[in-house]
Amino acid sequence: MTFDVVYGLSPLLVVALGALLLMLAEAFGKPNPQGLAPTGEVSDAGAGRAGELGMGAAVVLFVGAALSLGVWLAGPDNLVGLELTRPYLIWDRFTVFVCFTLCLGGGLSCLLAGGYLTEHEIDRAEFFPLVLFSTVGAMALAAAGELLTLFVALETMSLGVYALVGLRRTPRSSEAALKYFLLGSFAAALMLFGAALLYGATGRTDLAGIGQAIAAIGQGEGPGAAQVLIALVLVVVGLAFKVSAVPFHMWTPDAYEGAPTPATSYMAVAVKTAAFAVMVRVLLIAFGDERLTSWASGWPPVLATLAVASMTVANLVAGRQSSVKRMLAYSSIAHAGYALVAVVATIRSPAAEGSILFYLLTYTVSTAGAFGALILCGSRGKEAVSYEDLAGIAKRHPAAAMAFSLFLLSLAGVPPTAGFFGKLYVFQAAIDAELYVLTVVGLLNSLVGAYYYLRVIVFMYMREPAPGATLAVPMRSGYVASALVIAAVLVIALGVLPNVTLEWAAIATVGRS
Amino acid sequence: MPLTSVLLLSMALFCIGVFGVLSRRNAIGILLGVELMANAVNINLVAFSRFQGGVVGQVFAVFAIALTVAEVVVGLALVILLYRSRKDVRVDEANALSG
Repeated sequence: MTFDVVYGLSPLLVVALGALLLMLAEAFGKPNPQGLAPTGEVSDAGAGRAGELGMGAAVVLFVGAALSLGVWLAGPDNLVGLELTRPYLIWDRFTVFVCFTLCLGGGLSCLLAGGYLTEHEIDRAEFFPLVLFSTVGAMALAAAGELLTLFVALETMSLGVYALVGLRRTPRSSEAALKYFLLGSFAAALMLFGAALLYGATGRTDLAGIGQAIAAIGQGEGPGAAQVLIALVLVVVGLAFKVSAVPFHMWTPDAYEGAPTPATSYMAVAVKTAAFAVMVRVLLIAFGDERLTSWASGWPPVLATLAVASMTVANLVAGRQSSVKRMLAYSSIAHAGYALVAVVATIRSPAAEGSILFYLLTYTVSTAGAFGALILCGSRGKEAVSYEDLAGIAKRHPAAAMAFSLFLLSLAGVPPTAGFFGKLYVFQAAIDAELYVLTVVGLLNSLVGAYYYLRVIVFMYMREPAPGATLAVPMRSGYVASALVIAAVLVIALGVLPNVTLEWAAIATVGRS
Repeated sequence: MPLTSVLLLSMALFCIGVFGVLSRRNAIGILLGVELMANAVNINLVAFSRFQGGVVGQVFAVFAIALTVAEVVVGLALVILLYRSRKDVRVDEANALSG
């Protein structure tokens, strides 16, 4: 019994324990005199050890991913002891799949940070415990089957990320962090109010109980039905903020651009993945009743509008950016739009949940890789930011350009990369669910999106840098290189042999009634 | 006191909070707005708990208070961070990032 619980929750427990150990290692370890603060003094005990602490954090997260795989193979349903954690944490195959994705994305970001923080002299070791604690929150959020757990997990995840964004103490970074924080806490407060109304209308706080109570309230015109409707709107708005869907995306480009790039990568992959996981669970379990999932009187048309707006607006604006990092931020908004198509498809297609999970996995490896390649292309004082910085980099540093191209092609959805199959299954699920308009809009948007991804490749391979321009010089770092190799292998593996992963994703459902 | 009047109070508080967030230009002001919203939630939770019986709502409220406090700690730290680098906490003046 106890073994079941400990083994089942081991990904969560290992990462939490790892975070505590890293904090101790940071506090009691000797500062490395090589890595000094820009002012020339040792600012904190962890300074100058970003490399080794990053390695430690990455190892912890990859162990978490391996344990998720182990739990998956043992089958969470066979671990009967896990019933004990219900309804607070619902540890089913859906959760375990998301945990794997989160640990993978977090681990890649930590490896990137191991190289990046040292190179750019923001050697602040608190980055790694923050990432680990935030990942613990993200995993609990994906598993949350009860409103209270959901909020504690949501805040655990978000608070770490707010601090990560403000890690670099420049005006831009602080501004980004503050904007993200203000909008994020506003969204959390809206969601909390929605949750309170749900509790008032149904008298329950577990999602399954809320779902049953809402089905019982049914068609009624009474105050209960109105409360449920207001709660639904508030919860959807709060979740849309977290997945950065248009029109709730205003913070995204700013926060992504102002944050140190490994933190951007972490936000783009882990926060979004966890937010989508909780969105699927809340919508299908708590708001899964027949009336609320119908096209006429429920959430599907709202989410469909958000999906179309996210894809279209983000793709159009992304093409006009001059900063590659900002372009990738808009690209992540567009990808949230594609994933939202699959969320809408869950109403009629049983395969849609699996397609979301598979999509999030492919998105995680491609996006972490793309940000990693952007990190690799720059070095201290010569960070690659704009398209011009990348001009002609293929001639000077073919490996960096090749890696970047691979991840961009995957994001654009070119076969045989992971991104292609991710998109394919999402659109297949949408067609299954007879959402033809959404599918067509999504396909058209993929074409528009290809423009700005290919533009980076054109700059890298076919342009010469302007005479006298500061050239971006790629950094040398084993950490960044190894993260890129891992991501590249996964991008190609998922693109060439998607079947096993897809079969696994297909059986990972939230078990709606 | 009937449930409706408590709900009206919390709804009014919530709306004042939302108005504060949307209209204030000072980061501290926005933070105060978010706080008002969170307190409206707490009033709601405790009222529902009292009128429906059971303590879940009260437990929820205690957790919500703790979460809000944690949030404010991080938020004020970020405000100080911004103030140190810009000597100003008005968010409409903070426009280094745009486009």
